[in-house]
This record gives sequence, structure tokens and C-alpha cells, in this order.
Amino acid sequence: MTTTEPTIESTNSTEVEITNIGVDFGSVTALESISLSITDGEFFTLVGPSGCGKTTLLRSIAGLETPSHGRVSIGGRDVTTEPPEARNVGIVFQNYSLFPHLSVADNVAYGLQFHELSGERDPEGRVAELLELVDLPGFGDRKPTQLSGGQKQRVALARALAPEPDVLLLDEPLSALDARLRKKLRVQIKTIQRDLGITTVYVTHDQAEALAISDRIAVIKQGQIQQVDTPETVYRQPASRAVAEFIGNNNVFQGRVADDGRQLEIGGTLLPLPENHNRAPGTSLTVSIRPEALVVADSKQVDPAVLSATVETVEFLGDAYRVHCRWKNKSVLVTTAATTPPEGTVKLHFDPEDVHLL
Amino acid sequence: MGPPDREQLTMRAKASRLLPVGIAAMLTTLVVVFYYPVGSVLSSAISAGGRLTLDPIVAVLGDPFYTGSAHSLVTAPASLPRRFAAWVNAGMPAVDFGLFGFTAYQALLSTIVSVAVGLPGAYLLARFEFPGREFLRSVTILPFVMPSILVAVGFLAMFGRSGVVNDLLATVGLGPIRLVFTLEIVILAHAFYNAPLVTRLVTAAWESVDTRSVETARTLGASPLRAFRDVTLPQLVPAILTASVLTFIFTFMSFPIVLALGGLQLATVEVWLFSRVQNLALVEAATLGAIETALSLGLIYVYLRFEATQISTHGKEHVRSRLPLFGDWRSISDPRRLGLFVYCLVAAVLFVGPILSLVIESLTTPDGAFTLDYYAFLFAQQASTAVGTIQPLAAITNSLLFGFGALVLAVPMGVLVSVVATHEGRGSRVAEALLTAPLAVSGIVLGLGMLRTLVFGITVFGHRLTVTGPIAIVAAHAIAAYPFVTRNVTPALSGIDDRLVDAARALGADRPTVLVDIELPLIAPALIAGAAFAFAISIGEFDSTVLLAEGVDSATMPVALERYTANRSLGPNLGPATAMGTVLLVVTTGSFMLIDRTGRRWER
Repeated sequence: MTTTEPTIESTNSTEVEITNIGVDFGSVTALESISLSITDGEFFTLVGPSGCGKTTLLRSIAGLETPSHGRVSIGGRDVTTEPPEARNVGIVFQNYSLFPHLSVADNVAYGLQFHELSGERDPEGRVAELLELVDLPGFGDRKPTQLSGGQKQRVALARALAPEPDVLLLDEPLSALDARLRKKLRVQIKTIQRDLGITTVYVTHDQAEALAISDRIAVIKQGQIQQVDTPETVYRQPASRAVAEFIGNNNVFQGRVADDGRQLEIGGTLLPLPENHNRAPGTSLTVSIRPEALVVADSKQVDPAVLSATVETVEFLGDAYRVHCRWKNKSVLVTTAATTPPEGTVKLHFDPEDVHLL
Repeated sequence: MGPPDREQLTMRAKASRLLPVGIAAMLTTLVVVFYYPVGSVLSSAISAGGRLTLDPIVAVLGDPFYTGSAHSLVTAPASLPRRFAAWVNAGMPAVDFGLFGFTAYQALLSTIVSVAVGLPGAYLLARFEFPGREFLRSVTILPFVMPSILVAVGFLAMFGRSGVVNDLLATVGLGPIRLVFTLEIVILAHAFYNAPLVTRLVTAAWESVDTRSVETARTLGASPLRAFRDVTLPQLVPAILTASVLTFIFTFMSFPIVLALGGLQLATVEVWLFSRVQNLALVEAATLGAIETALSLGLIYVYLRFEATQISTHGKEHVRSRLPLFGDWRSISDPRRLGLFVYCLVAAVLFVGPILSLVIESLTTPDGAFTLDYYAFLFAQQASTAVGTIQPLAAITNSLLFGFGALVLAVPMGVLVSVVATHEGRGSRVAEALLTAPLAVSGIVLGLGMLRTLVFGITVFGHRLTVTGPIAIVAAHAIAAYPFVTRNVTPALSGIDDRLVDAARALGADRPTVLVDIELPLIAPALIAGAAFAFAISIGEFDSTVLLAEGVDSATMPVALERYTANRSLGPNLGPATAMGTVLLVVTTGSFMLIDRTGRRWER
């Protein structure tokens, strides 16, 4: 498989436009005012802890949830009051939700009776085409009960894609599968999405999954959007402490800008800040630094940008060690590619430019 | 899960050594109190003077009274094409299929009405949220444990000549309507029993429909109605069919309701069978019993096939959110909700009406004045020493004693069948079939069999052994009751995660300790519920009791109730019967709830 850079910048029209959407369940607010623009052909992921409202947002796009206020438009058409069957979206749920009384082929063909296919294509040919696409040719006559979890989910994907929807909605589609299968299937989903160029909204609580397959990510917490950006930006420049702590492993420290304006003071220790940080001396400040930006220093090496931490636990990851240290009663996470695990007291240094201001 | 280790294997070996002992003990019991008595009845249908013959069966099937126009299939099969042609030439007039035809016809009508009444209830319970939904859902079990003779008297109190409905009609200058001894009232009473069953089974199926699959259909382009038709309905059909077949079986074999509300002119096979026994036409009765048993075995086979086709989805985590039944002001004009309100009114009349009427009639004179005379009458009966008088207090004591005896017998029997049913292997399938077969035999046939063998006495090695009526009654009740214990316990038993047992054993508990600490508490609620059922079934049992309680000494409450209903010379009107019925109602619901409550304390 070859990996090419996604080229969403070339087609720039907005496919899904969400304006000030809010959803209340009785007295509980599931979503506060949320606005999002999802570009045509984009793989867009909503990520956040469970209960954050990401599924409610997805269901609002599908028309399965009625927003208390706000607007949803798909392909430039306002669909806020349209029922799901009038929106031309395809949806895949976590637990497959195949129609248990229908064969695989009938499941995939179900949506075709309500849609005109583009070109001169017959439904049977379309079903075969889709089963081919999801790597399940010849499975048409089976019943859902005769399939494995991964196979069921691929049938559900084929069923959602069959009527050529404008938007593909995926609600934690891989969460019911085991880790190995999950990784395999997410590559398959990404490949199919890119080949078809279909606008996709993907919901997951797994930040690693979100980083791996998305063109853009929206991080959601407690019904509010924290950050919308490419995986790289969200990872390297988290917009808030919540994002920094949710996406990937991270070390977050709180302190104040020292009087010289160039260092961060945490409990009497001074650590360097990146140049051009434009924070005034004396202001309190939260910073994050990724575990892989911390380097376990040679004992002989003397460097000013150093934390002196105690190793507590070491995890062997195969290609690296993840070291749990303690520094000033705070836990500090370090990833190191060293061939032997560090122990005792270690000195950690870092490039000041890797310190991210929150 | 890995392969079982040696320790587990020896445990299972021990368990499997114990199981056959239990099965053997129970089969022996069944042979003595069920297979032998019933076999003796059935054998007289196929033997005469010690040799095999089909004559009795041919005589019944060839009798137009029993099989109507179909009798010529037996008597003159060769003439069939000619008769068929004549029938077509005559413009295909309505065909009479005799007693069997009528029994099936009323069962079919009862099934249709029960499904029609039960389905909206399932819709209400599965799709709407309202205060008291859980309570309503749990009381749908109650009609099932109501003694059927009690329900019959309730319907008489409501729809009878001087019943509540006619009293109400009279106050507005209408009526009276005559419903007693009509097919309509029999069918309504059957619906009282079976519509809640339909509701229960279909609600359970409806709730297990994965809401996400309905939503998927919607996003694929289906309207709400199409999504219901294409996705929800196909998943309800197996439950509807299962409930229908069960209802058909129950109403085909229905006895006290038809006896009390239809009388002999609307006799079904079961009622006629009873009247044959009373007229001492025992060979004819036995033959009818044999044919009826064969038919119900066939129906139960169909039922089991249907039940096996039930699609089990594990979509429990996505129970569809229910719509509020009482929404904002707009919901008043919603046709669905309007329809459901009308339905609730009808259901309240059908289900609460008869029970309420029973109590009202027991406390009012025909003129509508309050009275306690009927209860005083019961006391007078108690003091009476006239021959043939059933003393109310004795009937109550008998019912409670027999109920307790039946419970003690039925619970281990039912649990054993559950253990067998949840066991793997071919042998256990056979054992399960043998142990479940009593379901197919009517109470009358069992009662008749016991009467002819155990009660009249059997000769074993030159010793004449007789069993007294009460013991036979307890045995018959236990046989009627244990399937209900099984139905409650089997799901609980098969729901126990094997790994719980493994976990407890890994923590150091030996097998008996695991049984007491882990498995028993987990099945205890189901066990208690099963016991409550067994007790209630025994208290309400009428079919075999009416035959076995030959004297007045072992009469139970339902038997007393039937006497008071049938024999109006005892009192001025239905009054004494309704008073007795109210007592039975209080004892039945009281004991059912008492056992159930005690059980729930266990649960906590």
C-alpha cells in the first residue's frame, strides 16, 4: 500500500456546515453552541472522552437527533428540519446493527430501493461492487450471524456506501473490535475513503486512532469544541490544557514567567522558555512538553535546561522505553530510545523550543 | 477460554454422576404419577379386551358429532371426491367440522382477539415512557396466575344477566344485554388470559430490537413506517407467532372458562371430555383424551419450532429511547397517543372490570344496596352439617395445604428440568423431552388417569395399593406447576457466567461452597418467582382437582366456587359465588405477592 498525502486543499467547497448547534436532553445540555465547517472529501474526526457530546453531534448531522437550536446544512442545502431519510447520509455504528433477518446482500442492497444510482447501474451489480470494495466478495448469501465482528463491520460500511451518500458518518466503528483488527480495518477505511473521495465524519474516543486517520480533528470536551486542526497541529500545538492532556501523552507544568521574562519558574526551579513567547514577566503560565522531547542526559553532560528526576517505573515498548519519573512531587513522563532502561536519579534536558505554551 | 483442566473435568464428572440420579428419581416419580395413569387412559383408546384395536378412535373420528363433515374421511374415504364435487356444486356452503372443528374455531378466534388486544399493549410498553410503566409491565403476569374459574365468575359478575354492565345499562334505560352462554364472552375471557401473554412476549422482542438498525434504515432512505415494516416488524414476527401458537394451545385445551361461560351448548373437546367422564362413558372419554393429547403434542412441537427461530440480538445496550406518553399540549392531538388512550380504556374495562365486578357483586344486592349477606352465607355453609355441603373454611385450608405440597414437589422437579435443559448433549435433549411432555396432557386426562389407577387402587405383587385423593391432587398440581418453575429458572441458570464459578474456585472455594455462595444467590430470585407461580397454579388448578376431589373433604376453593356458581339452589343468585370468588382472589394474589416479596428480600 502506498501512502500519499491527502489533497483536500484542491477541492475547497464546504460539504457539511454546522452553525451554532445546541442539543438539550431535558435539563441536560449535551452540546452547547457548536459551529463547524467540513470540507468536501475531507476525513474529519470528532474526538473526545465518552459523554463529551461527539456522538450527539454526529447524530444531529444524520438527523437522528433534533437540535434545540442552530442549523445543519449538507452540500449547501439546509437540512435542519429534514428527517434522516431525506439527507442522503450513510451511517455505521459501533455494534454493526446489521438487519439480523436479512442476508448480507440484502443488507447492502437495502438503501438502493430508495435511491437512484448514478449511471446505468443495476442494484445487484452495485452490491457485488461494494462487497468487492470491502474485501468480502461472495459473502452475499450469508446471514449476519455467520460473520465475524470485522466482517460485520465491513458489511455495515458497504451498506452505508451503497446508495452513494453525500456524507459518510462513522460512530466509533472500530471500538467493538480487538486491537490488531482495529488497526487493520482503520487503514482499510482510510483507503476506501480516499479512493471514493467521500466526505467522512468519524467519531472516536481513541485519540491515537484520530491522529492516525484524519485530515482534520475536532477535540470536544463537555459539549464544547476545544480545537479544530490537522492532527500534526493538534498534537504539536494543543490549544488548551484539556487538549494537551487528552491528545497523546504529555507533561503539563504550571508556573510563572520569571522576572527576566525568559524563564519559567516552578517551585523555585528555573526552566528555559522558547524565544519570542511574548508573555509578560510575573504572569502565571501553563506549559506542556511531550515525553519524546525530554532526553535522558548523560551523567557527565552538564546542561542548564535540566530537571533532576527520580525514575519510578519503566515500561518497555519494543522500540523505546517509557519512563515514569517523579520531579518535585509531579509525575514526569519520558520516552527514550536508549538500549538500557534508565534507573535511579536521572537528568532530563530539552530544547526550549519544544516547550509549548498553553 | 482455555481447555478445561483436570480438576474441572473431575468436578463435571461428579456433577454428571449426580444428574442421572436426579433424573432417574424424577422420571420414577413421573412414571408413577403421570406416565402410568395417563398411559392407562390412552391405552383404553387403542385396546379392547386386551388386544390392540383402532376401533374407539375410528368410532370418534367417524362420528359427525365430533368431526362433522370430515367424518366421511374415516367412514367412507372413497366417496370423498363425489362429496367434494357436490359441495362445490352447492356453492361451497359453510362446513361443519363437529366438536373438534368448533374447538379449533373458538381457539382461532380467541387467538386473533388475544393478539389484537395484546399488540397495542406491547406497542405502549415498548415505545412509550410514562409513570407506572414498569409496574404495568410486571402486572401483565397477574392474569396468568388467576384461577380460571375465578375469572369466569368475574365475567359472569360483569356481563351476567344481573351483572354490573346490565345494572349500569338499566340506570340509563338500556339493556339488558345477553352475553352469558355466547361465544363472545368465552372469547373475551380467553383474551383476558392470553392478551397479556402476547403483550409480554412481544414487548420483550420489541425492546431487544437494536435501535441503531432502525436508525440505519432511516439514514438509508426509509420513512419511519418503512423502517418499522422492514426492520422492526420482521424481528417481532417470531414473537407474535410464538405467542399465537401458545394462545391457541391454551384456548384449545381451555376448560373452566368454557364450562362456566359457555356451558354444554358451546362445549369444547375438554368440556365434553369432562361430561363424558361424569356420564361414566370412560372409553369414549379416554379416546377423546388420546386424540386431544396427540393434537396438543403436535401444537407444542410447532411452538418449540417457532421458539427456536427467535432471533436473539444482543443489542441490549441500545434500547431505543421511549417517547413520553404525556408530552406537551401538542401530544393530545397525536393520533397514536389518542389511539393508545382509547386502548387503555378498553383494556381497563376488559382486565380490571371482571375483577372489580366480582368484588362489587359480592357486596351488593340485586337492587344495588350494600350487603354482607353473601359472606354470612359462607359462614352458614361452614356451620352446615348437610351431606354434600362444601365448607368454605375447609376449602381454603385444603387449597393452602395442597398449594404448599405442590410447591415442595414442583420446585425440585422444575429445577432439575432446568439443569437438564441447560446441559449439553443428546441424552439431556431426550430427558428434557420426557420431562416436558406433561405440558401436553390436559388436567382432565391426568385427573381421570389418576382416578382410574392410583385412587381406585393398583395391585402390585398381590398387594392392593391405593392413594388417597389429597395425595393424588398434590401430585397432579405439582405436575401442572413444575413447568412454570422451569420457565423461570432456566434463563437464570443459563445466564450464569461459567467464569464466575472458575473465579470463585480460584479464590479457594470448593464446589459446594460455590454453589451456595455464588450460583444459588444468582438464581434465587428466579427460584422464588417459580415457587410463587407453582403455588398460584396449584391454588387455581381446577381441571384435575374437580375429578380427584371426589368427596367434599378434599374440595379446594376453585371446586367450591364452581359448585356455588353451578348450583344456584344454594343461594339467591351469583352472590355466594362472588363472595367465595373474592376470598379466592384475596388468597391467590396475597400468597403470590407474599412469596414474591419474600423472594425480593433475598435478592437484595
